[in-house]
Amino acid sequence: MVLGAMGLVAAALLIQLIRVQFGPYAPVFAARGEASLERIERVIPDRGLIYDRQGRLLATNAVMYHVEIEVRQLTERSRQDIAAVLSKLLVLPLEDLHSQLTTDWASLGQFRVRLTRLEENGVRLPLTIDQTVAEVLNGFLADPTAPDLSGLSLVAAPRRVYPAGTLAGHVLGFVNQEGKGFFGIEGFYDEWLSGKPITVERPLIPPMARLQPDPPAGVNLVLTIDAEIQQMVETILAEGIEFSGAESGQIVVMDPRSGEILAMAAWPTLDPNNYEPWLEVGDEEPVISPAASGQYEPGSTFKLLTMAGALDSGAVEPDQIFIDTGEIEVGGHPITNWDGNAWGPQTMTGCMRHSLNVCLAYVASEELGAADFYDYLVDFGIGQLTGIDLAGEVPGQLRTPRHAQWTESDLGTNSFGQGVSITPIQLLAAASALANDGAMVQPHLVRQVAGPQGNYWPKTTILGQPISPETARTITAMLTQSLEGETQYARVEGYELAGKTGTAQVPTDVGYDPNQTIASFVGWGPVSDPQFMVLVRMDKPTISPWGSVVAAPIFQDVVERLVVFLGIPPDTAPVQQAALP
Amino acid sequence: MTMASSRPRQASRRSGWHLRGSAGGTFLLIITLLGIGAMYLAVSARAAEFGRQVLTLESQREDILQGNAELTAQLALLTAPEQMLARASELGFKPAGPQDVDYITVSGYQPDAEFLAPRPPVSGDIGQTALSPAYTETLGEWFSRVLGTDE
Repeated sequence: MVLGAMGLVAAALLIQLIRVQFGPYAPVFAARGEASLERIERVIPDRGLIYDRQGRLLATNAVMYHVEIEVRQLTERSRQDIAAVLSKLLVLPLEDLHSQLTTDWASLGQFRVRLTRLEENGVRLPLTIDQTVAEVLNGFLADPTAPDLSGLSLVAAPRRVYPAGTLAGHVLGFVNQEGKGFFGIEGFYDEWLSGKPITVERPLIPPMARLQPDPPAGVNLVLTIDAEIQQMVETILAEGIEFSGAESGQIVVMDPRSGEILAMAAWPTLDPNNYEPWLEVGDEEPVISPAASGQYEPGSTFKLLTMAGALDSGAVEPDQIFIDTGEIEVGGHPITNWDGNAWGPQTMTGCMRHSLNVCLAYVASEELGAADFYDYLVDFGIGQLTGIDLAGEVPGQLRTPRHAQWTESDLGTNSFGQGVSITPIQLLAAASALANDGAMVQPHLVRQVAGPQGNYWPKTTILGQPISPETARTITAMLTQSLEGETQYARVEGYELAGKTGTAQVPTDVGYDPNQTIASFVGWGPVSDPQFMVLVRMDKPTISPWGSVVAAPIFQDVVERLVVFLGIPPDTAPVQQAALP
Repeated sequence: MTMASSRPRQASRRSGWHLRGSAGGTFLLIITLLGIGAMYLAVSARAAEFGRQVLTLESQREDILQGNAELTAQLALLTAPEQMLARASELGFKPAGPQDVDYITVSGYQPDAEFLAPRPPVSGDIGQTALSPAYTETLGEWFSRVLGTDE
């Protein structure tokens, strides 16, 4: 009888075994079995690091933790304690946290919930904590005498960190919580920096454990930016903003021989660690990296290009005399000088020194002609992208005779930089031809790409040769005289520099604002062997509208420090000689 | 003695030997099966133990990499240009102007090499490359390896 009973049990077991293995629910059981062996996981590689040219870290990675709750492990006490601890540690409203912890998530089919925080604008963002707070919470979780945090779980996630804060913020751009780069270098090189995520089958039971492959890593970048020069420039810009009462400003420092950007500062500053406020600008697109995305009417700094084109074409000579009567009409539109005065007989050098609109309008309309004038502007890259490796670059606006809206009066106003929009980077690129024997270089911000397969160094790119080397040297000499005579606030003792001021009116929907200007200065040196170019732009200064008063002194301050950083001795200083033993 | 009485003794003598042989074979079979089972359990247990070590080491590696990243970020924060400038100011240093600098040309001087960023690691299936042949070779391959070594 016992044997019979055992036989019955064995038979039942066998039948059940066959049902499980081959019955209608067999695929369900098989799938559950498979799921308990492995978990499909997406592995995201670490984002590439960003260094300055001296090896200082500008962007790196750290860990943040999302705060999640396992609903089924919460107790009445742990709901209270979790809310209290998080509220105190993170300075968050207790009621909001308690509300999230007491919501009936199970009825919504959710058993693991990520806690959020409520922003001022009403948006809810995931609650994240750093390593320090995570260690405190983990300590509580491990301590039976600490507050009851049952159900609390910390999930590690990558976090982009910018150790230098606002330094070069507009250059770097930022990375959002999903790990995607926006604006600046992070936006332009996002695909390279991100690497390639892979999908792996991560075993859940030890016997199936095996070493997992690493995903292809993102590249590391070395920028052309020098963090010390950047710091110096940003400090001077901030002081200049305070001194002038300007609404905003930019300073860009570039090597005209290679196009390497040594510093690119903008005010207001951007802290990529805290980028959210920059996205809350209403309907307008945020102007990040304004050196490449903030177009403006340049005013008199644009005269460099008009005069360079006229000299190069042979339309004028440096010592050619122009009788300035104080007014000229181009296309039926009257043009006067900045002070409304007539300046009488002036050479072309004098016209540049005194920044005479009437003279430049005459040169463009009567000597150069519309066709040649706009051909030169196109050769200088006006109205086109420079190709700088920054996300969000805009090409500016240039109306030429090919455009239906162009009128002859545009020729007159364009000659002195009104009625045309450019970006600071465009002007710097164009002016690099004057400092670099006629060769226009492409500005760029990356000097080395370090990838898993090897290193890559971007080469200097020549965008074009709009003028001859002789013309470049001629106009540089003219501007050197101009700076020595008129723009004394830009002079740096011991150094021969060339440059031009700019005071541009600000366009509005109903014409130009009579009270506000954009004050600017662009210059380079040393004239004998230009190693740097500096562009200063100050928007709507209140202390004075003039570039010679607002922007030129800032240029002077920058160059005084820059020559020390770059180790450029004065043109006239005695240099001691020594030899290594 | 009759034929009937002799047959049972022969049969019993044959039966006793046969029974003892069958019992011995069954016993041997059971022992063999137990031995194979024990070996299987031992190997499985070792595999599970090492698998647990792999999972633990992977987790530790992840923690260490995260810790490294955190320390790198902290170091970069402490040596950021703004921090260094503030510390220099506290020590009484101030920015040098052109008039504060003496320039010396040194013949034969080689400036420091330019900074070279580290390259990120090359990805790959490190499991394939790191496994010893002892985990992947067949019995025949093992024999060949041993005999080859002996010779």
